[in-house]
Amino acid sequence: MADMIQILVLGLALGGVYALMGSGLSLVFGVMRIVNLAHPSLVMVGAYIAYWAFRLGGVDPMVILPVALVILAATGVLLYKLVFEREARSAKYSEMTVLLTFALAMVVEGALGTAFTNTQRVTSPDYATDAFFIGSVFIPKGQLYSGIVSLTIISALALFLKYSAFGNAIRATTQNRDAAELLGVNVNLVGLVSFAIGIGLAGAAGALVSFVFSFFPAKHWEWIAILMSLVVLGGMGSILGTVLAAFILSIVAAYVGFFFGATWSTLTFFVALFVVLLVRPQGLFGEKPELA
Amino acid sequence: MPTIDTDDILEQRRAYNETLAQAADKTRAMWFPMAVMAVLLALPALQFVGNYNYLIHLVLFTASYVVMASGWNVLGGFTGYISLGHNVFFAVGGYFAGMAFARLEISTIILAPVAGLVAGALGYLIGLITLRVRGPSFIISSLALVMIFRILFENWEFVGGAAGVALKANSLPVEWAKLPYYYAFIVMAAFAVWASYRIKHSKFGLGLRAISKDEIKSESAGIDTRFYKVMAFAISAFFVGMAGAVWGEYLTYIRPNIFLIILVSVNMVLMCILGGKGTIAGPVIGAVLIVAFNEFFVATLGASEINILATGLIMMLCLMFFPLGIVGTLARHRKLPRILNWD
Repeated sequence: MADMIQILVLGLALGGVYALMGSGLSLVFGVMRIVNLAHPSLVMVGAYIAYWAFRLGGVDPMVILPVALVILAATGVLLYKLVFEREARSAKYSEMTVLLTFALAMVVEGALGTAFTNTQRVTSPDYATDAFFIGSVFIPKGQLYSGIVSLTIISALALFLKYSAFGNAIRATTQNRDAAELLGVNVNLVGLVSFAIGIGLAGAAGALVSFVFSFFPAKHWEWIAILMSLVVLGGMGSILGTVLAAFILSIVAAYVGFFFGATWSTLTFFVALFVVLLVRPQGLFGEKPELA
Repeated sequence: MPTIDTDDILEQRRAYNETLAQAADKTRAMWFPMAVMAVLLALPALQFVGNYNYLIHLVLFTASYVVMASGWNVLGGFTGYISLGHNVFFAVGGYFAGMAFARLEISTIILAPVAGLVAGALGYLIGLITLRVRGPSFIISSLALVMIFRILFENWEFVGGAAGVALKANSLPVEWAKLPYYYAFIVMAAFAVWASYRIKHSKFGLGLRAISKDEIKSESAGIDTRFYKVMAFAISAFFVGMAGAVWGEYLTYIRPNIFLIILVSVNMVLMCILGGKGTIAGPVIGAVLIVAFNEFFVATLGASEINILATGLIMMLCLMFFPLGIVGTLARHRKLPRILNWD
């Protein structure tokens, strides 16, 4: 029984980071209809920023998190202006952007691999290897902190979307781009800002990932499928759905790992992705099967 | 009341089609692919005058990608369904033939068509499932497929898990050792190009191209879109599987990180996009260019990371500025040289 609770706790603790990685992806899809396969590779960029800041300057990843967020958000603006704005008029827009982001992921992976080699890295602040004990159940501090930070950032994002005027414009664009434009929303600016926020969240997630998982440039392929499974299960574009899916799947994966071995725990995400796409393409909270 | 003689109309139509076909033939230069084939078949004679193993390897490598890219083109080019997971069939073909070679000592060259059929049958089954969705969902599901197969192959003890299985090298002297595989790939490449020409100009191919233009209209025009799509998936898997079969014996290894790396499937996609999706000559030109690029980067810069970076960059630039590819763009501006008009 204690084992079962322990696994639940570990699954929950990982869910937070996954949720933060997925919510940026979900936001970008919701507003821009871009399935950003490069998202995990940009998470990796955030992780490397945190890694080098920690290694060279001893800066805590938590401190570097806002910096990574801003750097990546700026990168997002640049990418939007250079690549995605001009694609908006393309006939096969959604397929085109999938391929483009896929190519972008390779560019980022290749650049990171060239600069930092494919060695496994991890930042190790004190709390990353420490844990709280409640009875016999232990909670790894690193994962707990990263989960709390993730949920804080996601809540801030949710409040921003719900209560600010610009957030309303973003939500309106997500629901119906043409109608929002008719009502005077500057959809291009909304696209730019939400793209920047989405990529910025990838940077923030990267700073957390840097001490939760060990990473190397080519690892983002695995994360692509993991993040896609969260976003698809949650219903593409729904941030609440993504967060819930992140917790559900990381708990299920933790149990699968416990019963069948660690190799099979990642398989949970991939199989879930496959099954959801085919059985319920709109996911838990999607309203209509937009992608199908 | 005037009667209409249907035979007469059919006859007229046939005659008209004949004139169209003749007009199309005038824009082609059939001698060019024939000449290329002749040169490639005679190429190994160079071994009599010196050591050209590297050149032979390069041509063989290009030919293997011509097979795969032409196969991918049936689904991705004609039908418009972009799969980033076709290296799964490369692996299935490779493992099927490789295991048969390791256990039963049957040459993979003989087994290649069978391995292709196995991959095709699996493609048919997978297509039945994944072709229920389209657009980005299909692309994502194809990526998930690679991840699933990678984990399965890495943990399947029978085929050696992550370490894979070493295959016996053939006993020919070193200057001739590559030749069986060389000819196998050249023949397969020629067959793949010829077959994709025949497919494109059949009723089946017309249906596929209709699907890529507008699937709903094609369905209402009476095309069994589901069957057509799944068959296109199976055919493309067949070619990729066939290439995989011989590739394993050529490398003397079957291992997940040879077959199930993302670069293999990206190359197939990129070659078609660069050369021109949905054209016959496109995948061939793309394969030649990309293999040349890869060799250039690896030979001059020596790092596979730079290779990944460059491949991604070429793909981005290609998608942004030449979405129709070389053949497609030239054809649109009516500047396609006759020697490249294979459609």
